[in-house]
Amino acid sequence: MTEKLTSSSETRGVQGKKRYAMVIDLRRCIGCDACMVACKAEFDVPVGVFRTWVPYRVTGTYPNVKKHFLPRLCNHCDDPPCVRACPVGATYKEEDGGFVLQRYERCIGCKACMASCPYNARFMLPDNRTYTEVTNVVDKCTFCYHRVTEGLAPACVQTCIGRARIFGDLNDPNSEVAQLVATQPVQVLRPEEGTKPNVFYIGADRNLTEHGRAVYDTPEVLEEDRKNFTDAG
Amino acid sequence: MADFNIFHHMPWEPTYAIYFFVIGISAALFFFSALSWFNDAFLSLRHRAFYASFVLLVIGGLLLIGDLSQPMRFINILNPFYLNFASPLAWGGLNLVSFGLVSVLYYLAMSTQSPHAKVLGIIGSLLALGLPVYTGFDLTVHQNRPVWNTPLMPVLFVAMSIVSGAAVATFLALGEERLQGVLRAIILWSAGAVAVMLVSLLGTTAYGGVGQELTFMLMTSGMLGLIFLGLGIAVGLAAPIALLLVLGRNATGTMAASVLLLIGGMALRYSILIGGQLVQTYF
Repeated sequence: MTEKLTSSSETRGVQGKKRYAMVIDLRRCIGCDACMVACKAEFDVPVGVFRTWVPYRVTGTYPNVKKHFLPRLCNHCDDPPCVRACPVGATYKEEDGGFVLQRYERCIGCKACMASCPYNARFMLPDNRTYTEVTNVVDKCTFCYHRVTEGLAPACVQTCIGRARIFGDLNDPNSEVAQLVATQPVQVLRPEEGTKPNVFYIGADRNLTEHGRAVYDTPEVLEEDRKNFTDAG
Repeated sequence: MADFNIFHHMPWEPTYAIYFFVIGISAALFFFSALSWFNDAFLSLRHRAFYASFVLLVIGGLLLIGDLSQPMRFINILNPFYLNFASPLAWGGLNLVSFGLVSVLYYLAMSTQSPHAKVLGIIGSLLALGLPVYTGFDLTVHQNRPVWNTPLMPVLFVAMSIVSGAAVATFLALGEERLQGVLRAIILWSAGAVAVMLVSLLGTTAYGGVGQELTFMLMTSGMLGLIFLGLGIAVGLAAPIALLLVLGRNATGTMAASVLLLIGGMALRYSILIGGQLVQTYF
């Protein structure tokens, strides 16, 4: 690795430390949403919020159209802005592994971490939940910390039928993720933010991963959905 | 062509804009109260401006705490073992609490006619300056947010704080021609500074990347355009500046301009807060 580390919290390329990362091969993603379901089941993620989600964009003109899926989750950045933004240290980065995690008992709910995340990876938990007592604090994807530290793959990776999601230690040159990142033309989302994300995409078109004009001129059908969702919330 | 995405919520809702508004006024009024120790024209504002400042500080504090999803944990922000000094919110929390404490001491010193009142006024004014500065930094540090992520923001918030505070002060200075004249001059200079900064902000936003360009479009058209351009700039900034220039030192004119400036101050803070978040909700 030739790039000089700019932050003492960065763990990529640091000897003796793990740096977990995910590679998402968009050529393999079929948009089945099984990852979303597995994640919801694993963490009792409430209705209306997501730790991982799969937006899509359709391009072309019928009959020559293509649907581009873009599975999303927390990027477990090597230089995470959410950790900087949290006034009470409720958000922190696990030194070995690079997981960006949340101390629920500390979170005051100021939502500074949500405002600082370029990836919209964070959300507020509602007042009540069916099986879990943690409420009214900010939550996010943990890269399935509890599973990974037990030697298991994250729930979304385990369930992905197309094997589009690959997970492993980037600091281990023999791991599949390290080899994919080293040999494939991978991209990250919003590299210009300087967050050094650890979710890499194969086959992403940067023109399609950024905001589209639809943000300004939203199709009416989507606005109706949005309004219904907001009213229900 | 069709897009599908889940719906993301705006992290910071309009309550924050009201907080920015009242805390900005509170800071400026404290400054005017402290200014009375150095400039006789402000003498009548010493107590009145301080009381108004303190009431607004309490309201602002309650708004801020009430907006937390865990209001009872606001005390965490004072826990030295938890504090993260990389976060402007941590500094802001300390600044707010220190300002509150100094305000109480200042009040006690004023009521007992203590010679320390002047020094406390200076310390309080510096802490008061910190309030709009930190609220600006709160927004500036989010590098992914159009409109917010500019070094202008803390300076803009200081200028808006002086405008709104001086507008409230004109009502506290009813019938005092000399003081009204001084406040009119303060309003004109600070409102002019706000106008220049807004032009700069709009220019850099319009010529930014795709997120910034879309934000510019959203802020200058539709409902937000009406609030930002209509209420914030036309009604709440350009009209009162014109009124003050045309009518001169006319008391009624200054009052009318102050009302418009307060409407504009709220509209600008609201649209800057919401504008910086709109596009991101679609990402």
